[in-house]
Amino acid sequence: MIVYIARRMVTAVFMLLAIAFVTIALFFGASKDPARAMCGKPCPPETRAKVSAYMQTDQSAVWQYTEFVKGLFVGRTYGEGAQQVHCDAPCFGYSFPNRSDVTTLIAERLPVTLSLAFGAAVLCLVVGIGLGALSAIRKGGIVDRFSTGFAMFGLSVPTFLVGLLVLQVFGFMLNALPYSGFVSFSESPTDWAWHLIGPWMVLSFILAAGYIRVTRTQLLNELSADHLVAMTARGASTRQVNRHAVRGVMVPVVAMFALDVTALLGGSVIAEKVFSLHGLGDLLLSGVNESDLSIVVGVTLFSAFLIIVGNLIADLLMPLLDPRIRRA
Amino acid sequence: MPDPVLQVEDLCVSFTSGGVTADVVRDLSVRLDGGRTLAVVGESGSGKTITGRAIMRLLPRGASARGRIVVAGREMLSADERELRRARGSDVAMVFQDSMSALSPYLDIGAHIAQAVRLHDPSVTRRAARARAVEMLDRVGIPEPAGAVRRFPHEFSGGMRQRAVIAMALVNRPALLIADEPTTALDVTVQAQILALLRELQREYGMAMLLISHDFGVVGRAADDVLVLYAGRQAEYGSLRDIFEQPAHPYTAGLRAATPRLDARLDTGGERTRLRAIPGAPTSLRDAGPGCAFAPRCGLADQVGERCVVEAPLPTVRPTSEGGGPHLAACHLDRLPALKEVAR
Ligand SMILES: Nc1ncnc2c1ncn2[C@@H]1O[C@H](COP(=O)(O)OP(=O)(O)OP(=O)(O)O)[C@@H](O)[C@H]1O
Ligand code: SF4
Ligand SMILES: [Mg+2]
Repeated sequence: MIVYIARRMVTAVFMLLAIAFVTIALFFGASKDPARAMCGKPCPPETRAKVSAYMQTDQSAVWQYTEFVKGLFVGRTYGEGAQQVHCDAPCFGYSFPNRSDVTTLIAERLPVTLSLAFGAAVLCLVVGIGLGALSAIRKGGIVDRFSTGFAMFGLSVPTFLVGLLVLQVFGFMLNALPYSGFVSFSESPTDWAWHLIGPWMVLSFILAAGYIRVTRTQLLNELSADHLVAMTARGASTRQVNRHAVRGVMVPVVAMFALDVTALLGGSVIAEKVFSLHGLGDLLLSGVNESDLSIVVGVTLFSAFLIIVGNLIADLLMPLLDPRIRRA
Repeated sequence: MPDPVLQVEDLCVSFTSGGVTADVVRDLSVRLDGGRTLAVVGESGSGKTITGRAIMRLLPRGASARGRIVVAGREMLSADERELRRARGSDVAMVFQDSMSALSPYLDIGAHIAQAVRLHDPSVTRRAARARAVEMLDRVGIPEPAGAVRRFPHEFSGGMRQRAVIAMALVNRPALLIADEPTTALDVTVQAQILALLRELQREYGMAMLLISHDFGVVGRAADDVLVLYAGRQAEYGSLRDIFEQPAHPYTAGLRAATPRLDARLDTGGERTRLRAIPGAPTSLRDAGPGCAFAPRCGLADQVGERCVVEAPLPTVRPTSEGGGPHLAACHLDRLPALKEVAR
């Protein structure tokens, strides 16, 4: 087990290094000069060259990459003399437009995105599994027809549209929800939730559709499965049988959730934009707009890290849920 | 005469879908005493499994049963949920057709057996129930039972799984065991072992056994009485001897003609005869006309004439050999000619 986790971790590190390289290479292939934005309105070429050298953006992608990797282990120093900035050991880069190292920036923004993603995940699992299970148990009933329609809609409508719709309906028309801003959990848990209900609804709306479908299909399969008939034949009650049927639903749900960590983070970018929340997605977008390499690489890597961890947890959980997956 | 363990009277099972109701089992009557084995034989789709499941009130969605079923003194068709739960797994247990899918992939073998114990006696501790599981696995001949209880269904071979399923069914010593094709998925040697095990446990526990099979060889080896089903109807019913030596229904006779000898009961390996030896496709009750369901495939229908197509034959009493029980066949012919001409 420990060997397995260690091996996965090593693979993950190499994967992250590869992702960093690709991000840096893409950035240099496609971006405008980052120094341009920093050097101010009248920008004579020699100033610009100086700024460029100071920000170390005048170097090649390969050089950037080696510096970046080196920075991870020994930290990184930009510029000289009074202008010198230092970024401590696990250094993911320094953002000149923000005058801060990327680690600090991510740490600042993380609570927003985590709140967003966590709440949306809980909401979408509860709604998705709940509606899916009810649909399966009363197949063809009202809940079933409603949630089938809901799932169809959720799977086919783009995130931003739902966001604008929720914003419109709840924020403006009903004047019920705040349509922007973030209050930290430690400050006031109720305000925290209140400000996040809108984005939670948007994010979970889209993801819940998949869980409704998977739960419904899987539970229908399980409920007519021979091993549950056999359990009834042993003398189990319908309640006991239904409870056991849930076991079979957990496996695909966990597998799907691992994949949805990606969708959740991707959806956050859009939801943050729509609801003017300053989370990781917003940070990444500003990084792209300002051609801020450090932010782009830092946030990308951090997201990739979350996704890898999510998948690892799912892979560890799955054999516990289904013994057939245990060791090969 | 002691009360029978299983008594079925005029059982009909029908499926309703899209407003249409169709019988898949019709007018079935059976009586089975403790310690005896009744084999239910018939082609695929003839209603064997449905009959077995009706006895336990375990019909799939959309199916309903009429008639009368009494198991160990309990009226099954009028019993409420609580009574049914008490009966299932305790008075009557089932070995399902497919042992792999009948076991939960999420539970180890011990948990299955322990569950069967604790569902009927909640006062048994988990630990004690698992100890019962080990005992029971040992009883059905699984080597190293203490380790085997912790294994999962997919880690067992087919034969071992079948033994485990038998252990699970018998752990509460049911009065009636319904064994749905318990040996079909197994190779010949293992098949013989499992049949021998079932017979042995049956003697030990004195239980009645409803042995569902489509293998006449298996029937010959294990049954006391035989019920031949054709398209959900009772084609013939009688003692093993009568069924093998003086079949009165052309369908049975066809099966018999394709089976070498009655002493097939003694040979463990070798030739086995499946029911598909009879030419033509099996009919289901659904598309049967008003006449005899077997008529389209019956080599003797011509001799009887129109009656076979317009009138469904009712079971009538046939000659029995010495010591045999009732012998019934549903055919308009009173006597069958020589066996060879029976099947087309
Ligand atoms: N869920 C269902 N809905 C509708 N019809 C069904 C259903 N299950 C079984 N039947 C019908 O009932 C009839 C009897 O089926 P059953 O499973 O009892 O056959 P069987 O004799 O056990 O066959 P096999 O040897 O293949 O197991 C079949 O004709 C089948 O079409
Ligand atoms: S009733 Fe007629 S068709 Fe049916 S089995 Fe007898 S002879 Fe054949
Ligand atoms: Mg069957």
